[in-house]
Amino acid sequence: MSSVVAVPGSIAPAATREVSRARGVKRFKWALLTPLIALFLGILLPVLLLQLYFSFHQWSIYLGSWWDADWVGLDVFKDVLTDPRFGWSIVRSLAFALGSTVGCFLLGFGLAYLMHKPFRGQAIYYILFIIPMLTVPIVVAYTAEMLLYDVGPINDIISRVAGAEYKVPWLTNPHTALLTAALLEIWNWTPFSFIIMLAGFSSLPKEPIEAARILGASSWRIFWEVQLPLLRPVILLALILRFLEAMAEFPKIWALFQGGPGSATETIPVYIYLTTWQYFEVSKGAAMSYLVMMLMIAIVLLSIRLLRREKHAIDAMTTAAPGGE
Amino acid sequence: MSKPRISRRDVLKGGVGLAALSALPYAPKAFAQAENDRIVAAAKGIGKTDVTGMIWSNYFIPMQPSMEDFRKLTGIGTGNILDISVFDIPQRAMAEALSRSPQFDFFHLDAGMIPSLASAGLLEPLDPYMEKANFKINAVGDYANLFVYEGKTYAIPTDGNIHAEYVRKDLLEDPDAQKRYADKYGKPLKFPETWDDDFNIMQFFHNPEKGIWGSGNLRNRANGVTWYLMYFYAHGGFPFADDMKPTLNTAAGNRALEIYLREKAVAHPESPGWGTPQMIPRIAGGHVVACQYWDGIIKLNENPKKSKTAGKWLYGTPPSANVGGKTIVRTISSPIAAIHINRYSPRKEAAAYLALWWGTAKSANQYVGDSVNVFHDAWNKANMTSPAVMAAYTPAGLKAVEECLQVACPPIYLTGYLEFQDQLGKALSEAYVGQRKASEVLPNVENEWNKIVKRIGTKKLEEELKSYKAAMPTINVPKMS
Repeated sequence: MSSVVAVPGSIAPAATREVSRARGVKRFKWALLTPLIALFLGILLPVLLLQLYFSFHQWSIYLGSWWDADWVGLDVFKDVLTDPRFGWSIVRSLAFALGSTVGCFLLGFGLAYLMHKPFRGQAIYYILFIIPMLTVPIVVAYTAEMLLYDVGPINDIISRVAGAEYKVPWLTNPHTALLTAALLEIWNWTPFSFIIMLAGFSSLPKEPIEAARILGASSWRIFWEVQLPLLRPVILLALILRFLEAMAEFPKIWALFQGGPGSATETIPVYIYLTTWQYFEVSKGAAMSYLVMMLMIAIVLLSIRLLRREKHAIDAMTTAAPGGE
Repeated sequence: MSKPRISRRDVLKGGVGLAALSALPYAPKAFAQAENDRIVAAAKGIGKTDVTGMIWSNYFIPMQPSMEDFRKLTGIGTGNILDISVFDIPQRAMAEALSRSPQFDFFHLDAGMIPSLASAGLLEPLDPYMEKANFKINAVGDYANLFVYEGKTYAIPTDGNIHAEYVRKDLLEDPDAQKRYADKYGKPLKFPETWDDDFNIMQFFHNPEKGIWGSGNLRNRANGVTWYLMYFYAHGGFPFADDMKPTLNTAAGNRALEIYLREKAVAHPESPGWGTPQMIPRIAGGHVVACQYWDGIIKLNENPKKSKTAGKWLYGTPPSANVGGKTIVRTISSPIAAIHINRYSPRKEAAAYLALWWGTAKSANQYVGDSVNVFHDAWNKANMTSPAVMAAYTPAGLKAVEECLQVACPPIYLTGYLEFQDQLGKALSEAYVGQRKASEVLPNVENEWNKIVKRIGTKKLEEELKSYKAAMPTINVPKMS
């Protein structure tokens, strides 16, 4: 154990340096945070407050100024919560988001696993795999419209492969429309999961994998018992980010279906858009947006909790490992 | 002070003189010139101004030459243009209303939005400008009434956009088909007079294996409602009673629903999702037997460079219905693309006179007769005799357009137009794809419409109903020219 020998006159400068350093760190933190706080206070907060105002006031754009709107308390929220169309649109959004998130993840994970070790021509594959993500969603929609036509190229390929004529009604059958939208979402956003998972694979510590290999573990066991547990926080992050994005998907579904056929693709963004910008029911649109925001906040909080738990589990695992400190 | 006495003989003499004058070849030109001169004179004092607007380039490009003429004469022309689809402009215009923004001087959008946008305070009434320039909307039939709301004119049309009846002439004139049809239905095969004739013809020639489908009518969620309303009006229906109670679940409404749904049997299986981008090539490509479709497609059909079916179509008004012993023919005009002026704009006067200029016979002939940009359909009386317009439509096609314009109805011409339409469109689409029973459609829509009426205000809408009724055609059957 080392002893500290006090040298007269040297304590004060060290303390000053410490204080000065602490101040510097604090200043740096504020320098980073100030633009974000300003952005929140200047743009987001007024919008949120205005939306809150509309949610508690019944206002129609046709009947006077918004600041003269009648206070109705929770009536608009009650209206939204008893609207079966709102409930169904939430169900459709959840189904769409869950399906497409799982699809994106499985494909993205698979591609990342294949790509995480260097090989010749890797860069070309990398570019190829991220191209869908760089394609504007509206372009994806219009391209899909041409490809998925009943006698279009996709059905033609399916028919040739199957050896029988198939005319899958991708866009016009209420039973397949949402699935089609989810498949397009998977095509469009698999690269996002791929990039996150590739980063995850690249950041894995080499020591546990090497140790497992030396101990004679098979590739499968290394993957299943070492890599996958270590990747769990990254997997969770990829799933959460993609799910939140998918819940808000609008351009492709609107461009291709506008909520139809029937009401098969009337997801929550579509219904909020219709309510606010076709029906001009601004109050109801605001209340719906708030409820959806609450749902999303709940999901985010739950996710943060899960992420923390995963981090603790990994910390515990690495601490418990021999030599791991 | 004595009043000047005008005898009946004087009136008759004057009438004969005017008739003789109008028979001269230069008379319409002279009238058109005077109309243009009056607008230029009214706008002269404003000075050099660039007005801004929201307009789809498909519409704007053919309107540019006449705008440039106006700029030369008055200094008023267009500056910044926001080029967005006519289907997206209503939302953007409403956002402008919400913010009372002076950014855009005019909006080229569906005149069905007039009640909603006027209620939101966005629209400038054009009557004072029309009065000053001694201008009137010189449209065929009662069509000009579609731009009047609560006694004021709020828009100048640039596009007729009515539904006309299209039937394949080559199929109808086939002697073998004529015999078989007569044997099957006990009546001659000819241009459909009733809605059942129309369906029979579609059914008779429907042959998917040979790539021909009976119906070319749209049934997607966004557009199908336009067809339903046409059927409904054609059977004497009007969607609201005087106390704003919906009247869809009536004999007319149910008959319209029957016509709407039965066509599934003769429509392409993908029709629940098809809009114009999918259907127009099928019509011009010869894959459709009959339909009621926007009249601009006549120009496409009859253009041999773009169509496989030039010369193979018959055109006319949609079929008629017998309602209480009266024959009723109705068509619909939706969306009705027209120029609307922003009340909050500091340049509204300049924009208003430019709008009037675009509504003149000379301008209308220029953009409707454009052979490349064909989005503007005939609407002005002058279009009916314009050689360029006639060449684009063919004389038979233009005659059909003229007849249809006489019996053209608006969509739901009330505040809340888009919501009324979407609730109906959604329920119709659900029934068409089997998500909802047909028997539930009209009660459900009436229920939803009642909620909309309650929210917007029954009293307000009762007042508006007068404008809606005044926008309906005043004759049951078009006068043949």
